[in-house]
Amino acid sequence: MNLGRPDRSNRLDALAAAYALGTLSFAARRRLAGQALRDPAVSTAIRAWEWRLAALADGIPPVLPPPRVWERIQARLGLAGSGTPATSRSRAPMVVEPRLVARIRRRRLRAGLRPRDRPAVAHRRAPIRKRGRGAGRAGCETGAHRDGRARQSLPDGEGGWDVTIARDRSLELWLLPDGRPPQSLGLVPASGIERVALRAPAGVALEGIPALAVSPGARGRLDYWGAHGTRALHRPDRADVLTCARNPG
Amino acid sequence: MAQADTDRSARLAQLLARTALADQAAFAELYRLTASHLYGVALRILREPAQAEELLQDAFVNIWHHAGSYATAKAKPQTWLAAIVRNRCLDLLRRRTPDTVTMTRDEDESDMEFEAIGPTPEEMLLAGADAHSVRTCVDRLEGGQKQAISLAFVRGLSHAELAHHLRQPLGTVKSWVRRGLERLKQCLEASGFAP
Repeated sequence: MNLGRPDRSNRLDALAAAYALGTLSFAARRRLAGQALRDPAVSTAIRAWEWRLAALADGIPPVLPPPRVWERIQARLGLAGSGTPATSRSRAPMVVEPRLVARIRRRRLRAGLRPRDRPAVAHRRAPIRKRGRGAGRAGCETGAHRDGRARQSLPDGEGGWDVTIARDRSLELWLLPDGRPPQSLGLVPASGIERVALRAPAGVALEGIPALAVSPGARGRLDYWGAHGTRALHRPDRADVLTCARNPG
Repeated sequence: MAQADTDRSARLAQLLARTALADQAAFAELYRLTASHLYGVALRILREPAQAEELLQDAFVNIWHHAGSYATAKAKPQTWLAAIVRNRCLDLLRRRTPDTVTMTRDEDESDMEFEAIGPTPEEMLLAGADAHSVRTCVDRLEGGQKQAISLAFVRGLSHAELAHHLRQPLGTVKSWVRRGLERLKQCLEASGFAP
């Protein structure tokens, strides 16, 4: 599989087609997948063929998987059992409190968001944790960082987050309206913030905004992805994101 | 049809976006809307319900963790999701050695009731090609090319397995697949259906 030959383009296209179709051997698949990680031209060629062929999968008759499949997915991810986040009773925004970097106090959030007594937090990899002190405060969880550039701990018994963000990164706070693009509320200064003004997008009541999020991104640069008017945070490493989200119900 | 497909893509893109932000309700809805199709894809390729279930679990765990890597500029959400499942299925299949394990299953259709009563791989391929240009291009493939590509795509057969299944020399089957894909690409590009 020498892709350095003069006829590289044709060779690559043929290999990418075989990969997407599935006719390559396991060893050849692994080699090409490895090359795709290092060479954007290889990954682009594979994606192009997957795109061409994947529409053909629509004709395969759907088969309802047994309920146990979803139950096991929930169990593996530590998700709420009902198929909805464990936050369904809360309509207030979540509080994100990475203590060493930014302190955002919900009681100081401006604009008609009625505080609730016990907002819960939907999160990804640990049981629900509520803030240890003070009603209406909620901690948010993030996964372990895999790249070593940032570190954060789970909330301790008293609540609070220890977060270390790499110097080339900054935190940005977001509103996440349903069906609309996330709206940036601005960067969180390293010294921390005490007040965040929530400005709902036109035509959206603040009460209808189900979630806030904080993204540690490369300083001065934010990427987005999405289509059809939907925009969300893009992270090279999903574990780099602090997210507070709850069910709008 | 096209509008419904666009609406569905937009909905799935939105659910992926929210899943990337750890929205469990969105993830549950994404599963509800896509799991049957993806399970059908996995079942056709793996042909073992237990393995297909396990693979679907792994795929959705992966989707939960990596939903943020979905890029709509590159593919529709359905395409991205189906590619995840197909690639996992193919990796699993190809990891099995020797190939005769799978070939034996090919010959034993008794546990494949859906094969007996359902559409053939070629019919599935054409049924899936909802875009007129894609359907036209698939239909234009020569018999051997269409059959080989259909079996490879729908059932995940390797070149060797295709040769065994179609009772053709390996070189012939490879040629069918290669030329069929080339023709498919040329036809799709001529129709404006290009990545």
